[in-house]
Amino acid sequence: MQSIIHFSRVSRLLATFLVGLLHSVHTVAAQQGRPAWERVEAIQTLLNGAVPRPEAVRLDLPSVTQDGSSVLVTAEIDSPMTPDNHVEELYLFALGNPSPELAEIRFTPLAGRASVSTRIRLDRSQTVVALARTSGGDWLSGSRDVRVTVSGCLSRDATYQADDVMQTRVRVPPRFKAGQASDIRTLINHPMETGLRKDAAGQPIPEQIIELFQARLDDAPVLTVRLHRAIAANPYLVFHMAPEQSGELTLSWEEDTGETTVTTAEIRVD
Amino acid sequence: MIKDAMNRRQSLKLMGAAGLGTMLSASGLPVFAGGASAGRVVIVGGGFGGATAAKYLKRLSPSLDVTLVEPQPRYITCPFTNLYLGGIRTFETLWHDFTELREKYGVRVVHELAEDVDVDRRRLKLAGGEDVSWDRLLLSPGIDLRWGALEGYDEAAAEKAPHAWKPGEQSRLLRRQLEAMEDGGTFILVAPDNPFRCPPGPYERVSMVANYFKNHKPHSKILILDAKDGFSKQGLFMEGWREHYGDMIEWVGRSNDGGVMRVDADTLEVETEFGTVHKAAVLNVVPPQKAGFIADRAGVIDASGWAPIHARSFESQLVEGIYVIGDATQAAPMPKSGFVASTQAKVTARAIIADLGGDTPPEPSWVNTCYSLIAPEWGISIAGVYEVHDGLIREVPGSGGVSPMEADRSFRRKEAEYARAWYAAITQDVWGTRFAF
Amino acid sequence: MRLAQMIKWGASMQQSRKRYIIPVGLLVAGLCLSAGVMIAGMTLAEPENEYEAVIGEAAPEGATPFEQRIQMIAMSCAACHGTDGRLQTAIPLLAAQPAAVMRAQLLAFKQDQMPDATVMPRLAKGYTDEELEALADYFSALSRKANPGSAL
Repeated sequence: MQSIIHFSRVSRLLATFLVGLLHSVHTVAAQQGRPAWERVEAIQTLLNGAVPRPEAVRLDLPSVTQDGSSVLVTAEIDSPMTPDNHVEELYLFALGNPSPELAEIRFTPLAGRASVSTRIRLDRSQTVVALARTSGGDWLSGSRDVRVTVSGCLSRDATYQADDVMQTRVRVPPRFKAGQASDIRTLINHPMETGLRKDAAGQPIPEQIIELFQARLDDAPVLTVRLHRAIAANPYLVFHMAPEQSGELTLSWEEDTGETTVTTAEIRVD
Repeated sequence: MIKDAMNRRQSLKLMGAAGLGTMLSASGLPVFAGGASAGRVVIVGGGFGGATAAKYLKRLSPSLDVTLVEPQPRYITCPFTNLYLGGIRTFETLWHDFTELREKYGVRVVHELAEDVDVDRRRLKLAGGEDVSWDRLLLSPGIDLRWGALEGYDEAAAEKAPHAWKPGEQSRLLRRQLEAMEDGGTFILVAPDNPFRCPPGPYERVSMVANYFKNHKPHSKILILDAKDGFSKQGLFMEGWREHYGDMIEWVGRSNDGGVMRVDADTLEVETEFGTVHKAAVLNVVPPQKAGFIADRAGVIDASGWAPIHARSFESQLVEGIYVIGDATQAAPMPKSGFVASTQAKVTARAIIADLGGDTPPEPSWVNTCYSLIAPEWGISIAGVYEVHDGLIREVPGSGGVSPMEADRSFRRKEAEYARAWYAAITQDVWGTRFAF
Repeated sequence: MRLAQMIKWGASMQQSRKRYIIPVGLLVAGLCLSAGVMIAGMTLAEPENEYEAVIGEAAPEGATPFEQRIQMIAMSCAACHGTDGRLQTAIPLLAAQPAAVMRAQLLAFKQDQMPDATVMPRLAKGYTDEELEALADYFSALSRKANPGSAL
């Protein structure tokens, strides 16, 4: 519960500060010879004076994408992920979107590896930024420029088949080795309605998104993700887990209406 | 006003009438008397991009010394391979040779593999040992398959589960497998994520296979397992599939677990991202791709596997004096199509000549039209006109688009007829092939 | 006067829908109209073969950037219409066709006023009216055949 409150606060701060300040960012950055996003005040607020270690978060995403409606991004940090020394929080931003927040991820040492993959929406060509905070209070960063084109051979039908909304898919390894991280893939069918679209009658379609994803092994949290509206339809999340013993993995997706879907999977550790 | 307009019209008429070469001397290009060369251009790749570039370089500037390096004595087109796979076109009609380039245009055609590029000395090393030197190098190497990017799918696996995405023996193998398949079997096509060669290609392929099944193996099924949640001309394809093939074709997008993660070519099984295993009677895997090998040797590709280029000229962003065109480039929103490679070749031929002559080329304009056949008399198309805007390529606003949905049968028949006419026209334009009409 | 009539035809054709009959008459009219210019063009464009035409002719003075661009766009038309627009298939021939007819047709494509059109309206919208008219003139001035002895 605490983690949710924390995320909401950060999110509000970002919403307040970030949008209005983006315009001046490029000029200032050019003057300072620093990355543009470091001058964004909301990120500065988050950093609270700390200087993040650059290129310490590996961001893997295409330099050019033909389809901004679903861009695969992986963020990963080298970390021992021990109780004393692990990555606690990871923040993803798309600086050129109508609202820059993408997702906030809270890891525990049980994740075994500070790595997450998801699919995001990119409104136009822009910079994607990742910031991470370690348990020791260090800040790390990474950023990538992405060019978004609309391919002439890729006219997507803007239809979403809604009959299977909230259906989930999960893939866990058949066996884990004790203490070793293996990846878990998840997907939930959901339109992730942004609130920015209008219906045929010109009325705004209200925002309706999956906003919270949680993974627990028995009673121990593994990972918590707060999703924003720029996560692509059918939210896709790949994360890691390094269990010491067998147990039951519980995954839950919570919609902003409060509706929640829960799935469990047996975890076997050799 | 009227007089000026007439003058311009007459000047255009004269210009057109006199042919292409005259334009260039008009624009200050060196057209030397006595056979002196205006420069040496070496082209790697004899496909839609390379062969077009060779022809138009010589048409635009006959005194250029143009060498085309292509290992195969004849080129087999990717377009219309699907018609061969569906049994409505013979394989031989996809072959084109280099006689016209050699004899009519005076292009030196070397049938060898380009092995390496020495950027500093401006030399191309051929497998036979010869070095060819250039003033400008133009690479049109097409694609290579990223073996191993899909677990279990390597060159050996392709002998059992063909890709048939680079035409040749692979196409024949897939056709033989389809012919040998028993009625009631399942044909699985594994489609890749973007970007890849010929965005509508996988969907035209299943259409042509469906047409073959409908006539010869009507109890068979087709399953497309797709790494994407949408594809080119999707609405038109699905409308055509329903019309012609009922429920024979099933498409599964990524979010419905269509993303294939592992291929077992021995059992013809594929496993999806969330662990579903599908078994095929005939398995066609279109794997992830990258720019052709020589582009890597030349150092013109980046981490994406494709070549970044300057929009105006298609000169490499990474190596000066080397131009890259066709599927190997990052030229989105232009798709990776044969048509696009050919239009890029023409614009880039003009840019290279301007570059050699210290001149400014005209403002670029590219065009694309991709036809797909859903049934022999049911064609659909996508078209676009492209320009440079703020240093980037874009589709000219308001232009382009796909065939209308719910068009009548005569519209679809006409586009099928145009598809065949297009193939005749572009292969005439590129290789000088003459089809009978 | 006749030119004006022909351009009107481009606009009125979709109303009358007599599309298979009217163009033939206009083709003839168009040939008459532009005969003078055509002859001038043909004398330049009837060499032994295409290649000699390229190297054999003197240049018109001072091709403007606009004219160079038209030539470049025209090269791309060849992908469907054959080199120099000289291929006659289901897709029509362009070389040596009456300029006024082609001008009217291209503008009608752009304005969605050509009945039964397929890709051309989508393509024509990628060019200015001035470019479309200049393209019509360019192809009109080309000879029908590059080499009188060849199959094309």
